[in-house]
Amino acid sequence: MFRNVVSRLVTESVGVGRQVKHSEVVKSLTAGRASARSFTEATDEAQPPFDSSLLDFLVCPLSKKPLRYDAKTNELINEELGIAYPIVDGIPNMIPQDARLIKKDEPEQ
Amino acid sequence: MAASMNLSVHRLAVLSQRTVISTFLNVSCRSGCRWRTSPGRCFSEGVEDRSTHFGFETVSEAEKAKRVYKVFENVAQKYDVMNDAMSLGIHRLWKDILLHAMHPQPGARLLDVAGGTGDIAFRFLDYVRYQRERQRLRAAQSSRTRSWQDGSDDDVTEDEPRASTAVVCDINLEMLKVGKQKADSMGISSGLSWVVGDAEELPFFDDQFDIYTIAFGIRNVTRIDQALQEALRVLKPGGRFMCLEFSKVTNPVLASLYDAYSFQVIPVLGEVIAGDWKSYQYLVESIRKFPDQEEFKNMIEDVGFCRVQYSNLSAGVVALHSGFKL
Repeated sequence: MFRNVVSRLVTESVGVGRQVKHSEVVKSLTAGRASARSFTEATDEAQPPFDSSLLDFLVCPLSKKPLRYDAKTNELINEELGIAYPIVDGIPNMIPQDARLIKKDEPEQ
Repeated sequence: MAASMNLSVHRLAVLSQRTVISTFLNVSCRSGCRWRTSPGRCFSEGVEDRSTHFGFETVSEAEKAKRVYKVFENVAQKYDVMNDAMSLGIHRLWKDILLHAMHPQPGARLLDVAGGTGDIAFRFLDYVRYQRERQRLRAAQSSRTRSWQDGSDDDVTEDEPRASTAVVCDINLEMLKVGKQKADSMGISSGLSWVVGDAEELPFFDDQFDIYTIAFGIRNVTRIDQALQEALRVLKPGGRFMCLEFSKVTNPVLASLYDAYSFQVIPVLGEVIAGDWKSYQYLVESIRKFPDQEEFKNMIEDVGFCRVQYSNLSAGVVALHSGFKL
């Protein structure tokens, strides 16, 4: 309980912009980490326009084909290969190893 | 469950890469093999089988990528502070020199790979903003009617058809987060994008960018020739490749001083300021393992860049390489 209060206090100061010490404290508190993520995700969902301008030149690094933005799951989908790239804090993660497979069956090439 | 998904995605990645990149491998290995441990290894299957260097250690390529990721994840928060401490603030001059050599015009599109905390991107945006102001001032001062640039001459660049944009791409999310926080605190909102991506597999269309920069990042890339080929791919014809990287000091006296400073002082600074001796030990070792100015110039030429040249900064501590896609 005390931990939640402390972590919330810490995450709010992270939101203000004091990065160095506080974020390290936040990282050490696992509960704090989850609440920090939800805090940033709330601001993240408020900025979908940020993403659409990127889609003009962002492609799947594997197939070099355009992607589709899925606002629900906040991911960039490659229909062809059936993979979804997550967006963390408004930053798309285009590393293939971090992508999620949409289809459960074996991907064929 | 996530781990198994990651594994299957990785397998998919390797499978798809093999068909597309196998031809690249054959071409690049002929040029890249010069500095590899054994040429025969170039044609072996799978990224995990090949070995490379991580500082003075020999590791597999897959392991190098992971360990480099860990290094920058650890140092991300203190990265800028450490840069100032280690280079006594001179890294700012090196980056300014890069920008002046680049001389970007308003409307240019920059891709800053391994851009991490965004130093180059911020400088780029300032530079084009300043250029645009100068042009406007000159146009206002002249008594003639304005040129074609007139019309949508707003202060906000995003309304204009040719707004300058900078895309910062880095493999490490932590570094980008630090950069994004800096941008937010500086109040920069338009014209700047952040993407997590691999320099060896850029998530961009072909022929997209006017300028590609990689500042103090290319020595951390596992397969440099692959990164150079991607650079060639995403640049527009006429686009410029610019690379700032630590290199070989030309003068032997200075070289021994520099070595002493690197190996005695920098890891200690790393421990004191960032609490991480090993990462900074890796940093100074990786500088020693990187090819020298001429060799890197040859690598850039082999990939297909034209008019490749380099200039030494600070007596060869840093070299600025530049090439064009023609």
